Amino acid sequence: MELGKFLTAPEYGFVIVTYRDIFQSAALEKSRFGEEYRKLSAVIKMDSGDIKKLGVVEGDTVVVKNACGKVVVRVEESGYDVPHQGVAYMPNSPWSNSLVSADTGGTGVPKYKMIKVMVSNARGEAITGMM
Amino acid sequence: MEIYQLLPKTNCKKCGKSTCMAFAVALLSWEVAVEDCPPLKDVEFKNNYEKLLEMVAPVEGSTETGLIVHEDKCFGCGNCVVACPVNVANDPHGAGIGRAPTNDKLILRVEDGIVRAFNIQECRRFGENRILCNLCIITCPTEAIEFV
Amino acid sequence: MVNCLNKNYYVCTGCALLCDDIEVEVSGDHITKIKTVCRKGFSRIGGCIEPMPCTSDGKSVDITTAIKDAASILMNADNPLIFGLGNSTSGAQKQAIELAKRIGAVIDDSSSFCQGPIIEAILHEKIHTCTLDDVRNRADVIVYWGADPSNSHPRHLSMHSYFPRGEERQHGWEDDRTAIAIDVRRSHTAKICGNRFYQIPLHTDAFLIEALIDALSGKVPKVPFEYDIKKILELANVLKKAQFGVIFAGLGVVYSIGDMGTMTRLMDKLNEVSNFHLIPMMGHYNMRGFNQNLFEATGYFNRVKFEKRENGFDVKHGVDYSIMEVLNTKKTDAALIIGSDPMSCLPRSTAEYLSEIPLVSIGPCENFTSRVAKVTIPSALSGVECGGSAVRMDGVKVTFEPMIKTARLSDEEILKRIMEAI
Repeated sequence: MELGKFLTAPEYGFVIVTYRDIFQSAALEKSRFGEEYRKLSAVIKMDSGDIKKLGVVEGDTVVVKNACGKVVVRVEESGYDVPHQGVAYMPNSPWSNSLVSADTGGTGVPKYKMIKVMVSNARGEAITGMM
Repeated sequence: MEIYQLLPKTNCKKCGKSTCMAFAVALLSWEVAVEDCPPLKDVEFKNNYEKLLEMVAPVEGSTETGLIVHEDKCFGCGNCVVACPVNVANDPHGAGIGRAPTNDKLILRVEDGIVRAFNIQECRRFGENRILCNLCIITCPTEAIEFV
Repeated sequence: MVNCLNKNYYVCTGCALLCDDIEVEVSGDHITKIKTVCRKGFSRIGGCIEPMPCTSDGKSVDITTAIKDAASILMNADNPLIFGLGNSTSGAQKQAIELAKRIGAVIDDSSSFCQGPIIEAILHEKIHTCTLDDVRNRADVIVYWGADPSNSHPRHLSMHSYFPRGEERQHGWEDDRTAIAIDVRRSHTAKICGNRFYQIPLHTDAFLIEALIDALSGKVPKVPFEYDIKKILELANVLKKAQFGVIFAGLGVVYSIGDMGTMTRLMDKLNEVSNFHLIPMMGHYNMRGFNQNLFEATGYFNRVKFEKRENGFDVKHGVDYSIMEVLNTKKTDAALIIGSDPMSCLPRSTAEYLSEIPLVSIGPCENFTSRVAKVTIPSALSGVECGGSAVRMDGVKVTFEPMIKTARLSDEEILKRIMEAI
């Protein structure tokens, strides 16, 4: 455990799909800068096997990054009945948008539902703040 | 019947009902409360009074049919409101067609973004001809409704 | 008992369903109870705790100064951008289009990076559509494709598409309707569809469409991923037997298939063998209004630039005038953002450019974009504090009255005053 602190946490590749969550939408209407919106936005939903692989438990934070940006968010188990290793879900928010590429391949439409990232154990690092 | 046994059985009419049996029936449908029977408050009925309170007391947060709405899970989508057969029968031109209620006879209705229960004695899980209707449960996206 | 004839119904502007049966109890300037409203609408009508301040250069100013400063930013720009308007009334949208003409601006809305392709196909009548009232009264086969209305449009199923009794659907959903979900995950809506949920791998919607076209043509369908072909045949069969079918297309399928060519072919095939309609799951309450209003004014539904000429202007259109491209190429040198928060909804690396240019932000609430704006102008929350009209997701026009009074100007009035100051 102590030794682990000095090793780099292993990174794993994921594809993130964004989705809408009514509680997060409701929190947004009330306050974009509030704790509730942050709590419901800075979340990544993963397959239970992937959570184990990352060496975290539900509620822990993970680093999610790619060439576009990096955010620290909280892990949740997706609870989906069909395993979805390698695919993770995030509610659409400034946190997920920190990871979306500006490159639209000439379409003008960002790949909001196909975000390729590397994920690792954040070892207690706090959730990224937005402004 | 069990309820009736615990009442004073004096038909004193102080509760506004003509007989203790009538009071028992009213108690069962939550039309009256145990407190509405004045003689029950006498010391001699203390035990009966407490037993009755226990019997008719709903599970915390639930209605007398055992219906619980987990407000923290509810989307306020109204699926249960429109799927409830009693609501459809009682309000065919409001809830029945997916729109705002047009009268007060609904069991479930949405207020302030959350479903709430009313007139629960009308629920099909209640009364003499009760059936285990579960349409409000299976149409809920989040298991926000439960019967205990 | 309350007499329903005496009831005063309002319209909820929480999403593009524009539910028009909302009852509101008001005490003074406060709403104390809202009936028949979903959680999302309740939150929208309740308003925010961080109202938009009236500022210029970081200092509190009166509205007249803010409007004057906004006008001067827009007048001095060579390539201004007007963006947002999905949460504004049609009146405000038309006013914004006039302003764009006047200042030679690029004008775009969020359909540019979401439901645009479907709206284009519908406005050009390439895809057969219908109204939500048709769906309630007639639809027997309902497909939620890459859409989760339970979260995005909460009353969709209860008010229109699945649970209500309709003219030709009198027996209730169990007997009269079949609801189908196609998605990459078991969403809350998919859960309600039970065993009529078809889960497919990411970005394979186009393959499923091809397989369905084959199955509907009597050929053996195939897909390049592991899937029980019997399920595809079974799905095709349900679609084929529909008396009145409707597909609700969400962002899941729109992003996955890119252009609407494949979906158009599926719709054509479905209408050869049965009777099918498609409705886009528009998000903001009046996004479709923006698309239709711009379409009426220019023949294009988004991504337009009014290029100034000596006598008037040329209308240009295309991806070069999409918000993503004008920001990525840093062509925009000033922007007017109305009722929208691009700093929050665009890729961060694209949106950050907005903090480098003079920005005017109009809206009822403070947001990430207004916090980097040079001028911020508070406006009335439309549908709650001001009335107007909007276009529902299915193209039906809905008019609405304010629920409470406010001293704040509407988007339309602010835009009119900016125009006058130019």
